Amino acid sequence: MSGQVATVSPHDSVRLGGHRTPRVVLAKAAKWSVLALFLIVTLFPLLWLLLQTFKTNAEFVMNPLALPSGFHYQNYVDAVQISGLPRLLMNSVIVSSASTAINMLICSMGAFVFARERFKGQQLIVTIILAGVLVPIIALMLPYYRIIRGLGLFDSLAGLTLVYVAINIPISTFLLQGFMKSIPFEMEEAGVIDGCNFWQRYWLIVLPLSKLGIVTAGTFVFLFSWNEFVYALLLTASFTTRTLQLGIRDFQGQFFTNYTGMYAAITLSIIPSVIVYVFFHERIISGLTSGALKT
Amino acid sequence: MTLHKHWKGIALFLLPVGVMYVTFFIYPLGYVFVVSLTDYRGFGAMEFVGLANFRRIFGMTNFQFGLRNNLIWALSLGFGQVALAALVAMILARKPPFWRFLRTAYFLPNVISQVAIAMLWYTIYRESFGLLNTTLRAMGLDHLALNWLGNLSTALPAVILQQLLYIGYFMIILLAGVMSIPRSLYESAEIDGANVFQQEVFITIPMVKDIAVVAMTLAMAFGIRHFEATFLLTGGGPANRTMTLGILLHRNLHAANYGRASAISAVLIIVGALIIGLTRHLLTTRSAIEDVKQ
Repeated sequence: MSGQVATVSPHDSVRLGGHRTPRVVLAKAAKWSVLALFLIVTLFPLLWLLLQTFKTNAEFVMNPLALPSGFHYQNYVDAVQISGLPRLLMNSVIVSSASTAINMLICSMGAFVFARERFKGQQLIVTIILAGVLVPIIALMLPYYRIIRGLGLFDSLAGLTLVYVAINIPISTFLLQGFMKSIPFEMEEAGVIDGCNFWQRYWLIVLPLSKLGIVTAGTFVFLFSWNEFVYALLLTASFTTRTLQLGIRDFQGQFFTNYTGMYAAITLSIIPSVIVYVFFHERIISGLTSGALKT
Repeated sequence: MTLHKHWKGIALFLLPVGVMYVTFFIYPLGYVFVVSLTDYRGFGAMEFVGLANFRRIFGMTNFQFGLRNNLIWALSLGFGQVALAALVAMILARKPPFWRFLRTAYFLPNVISQVAIAMLWYTIYRESFGLLNTTLRAMGLDHLALNWLGNLSTALPAVILQQLLYIGYFMIILLAGVMSIPRSLYESAEIDGANVFQQEVFITIPMVKDIAVVAMTLAMAFGIRHFEATFLLTGGGPANRTMTLGILLHRNLHAANYGRASAISAVLIIVGALIIGLTRHLLTTRSAIEDVKQ
């Protein structure tokens, strides 16, 4: 048997060599039940929500389980008008993009030093920064509130951006320095011979080679900032600085009994995350994978 | 590369990230522990009061519920969610048909905000027009239809479940671990007559243990810092049954009870460190610091 299986994954040999005993059938059924159960749990609520948005509110109240009678897009028109989504989206785009850009700049500079230089105390500094991953950030509500107030940045997108940049330092440093360590030194050495200074080694050689690592870490920072709720709640107060996540919380009060309108608003709020996922899921998975294998 | 030559460059490159880290990690941690020993209310002088804030909060019912619930959260995610994720990871590692699609699908909810997910589950759990109750009623099980989030005994399980079931994050981490196990181990076990179940128990589980502990550590950290779903679904009610320290901290901060809020923060940080440290101590011989290092 083993000779035959050599070209296939050894895991498959279980299937190839599997005897159709009741136990094998049972194991197979159990396996697919688990996979199906989690698929249902994962996707069904989302699909159900999406279906409701095509119903009229009366249809929904009559029977939340029925399929929509037609394609009613009115809910989406209501959603945009009632919730002020454009403004919420714009604020979220500004904060998330700015946080990602600034975080990538400062963390890639730090990671460059950690990955490509050796100096005294380096290991200690790296350890302290990476240990930040385990700090329960919500426990720091009070000091963050005081710092942002002290800087005069309360209720501003800049204040929120500053906090998001900071919170993501440990995860970005971890991903970026891991990636930069894997880049061979030859090109950098050639650059030094050609007269590259410190800044040029970073900007012209290492950074361009770290594109994939930047995209991975950047995706994590962007999604974090896009989805963050606690500090948006704490550090902003007015409608003009409200981000999408804060807006979602208000849907209940805004839509009252217009359930399908509210569901449309929730659906619209989810779409950007899903789009990011569709384009970057390989990067996210590889980021988590490399993180898991390095530890 | 070369030493000393670039010290100016090194210092300059570390400056921004260093300033931010000191301002938003080191200073706040110190701030919380110092202020927790005072009666500070946001203005005037800080009066040192020793451990009075801690004595006070440990006597409060909502704090007791909060601490208990945070531990339940941490353990449910650390053990329950990671175990479920490990089960799915072991199945997917054998590359059944559609395994790539399933891996991508399971992770999808993890990119959606906790706020949107909580709103989604509100539409599932709500008493009238809720997906769960309408389904139960459609099946003739009217007596099982409950006010899931308002009932004293179902509220906490309901809130935890809506997070616990989304295993994607830890599944991906564990899947990477399981897939990195050399295939030859399974081949020789198979030649020796070990069935799939035995292979998983005697090869996969011991080989993936270190990564599983990392996943558990992260899951517990997530459990300790839990906030959104509880804040939105129940606000800590009914009768403190879903209270968490994060919600209590938020309330005390808004009431400008800074000393007490800081004491809650300090407990959150210490309990988080203890539970994570203890788990790792019991399950591995490596220290957390070594793991965070590369």
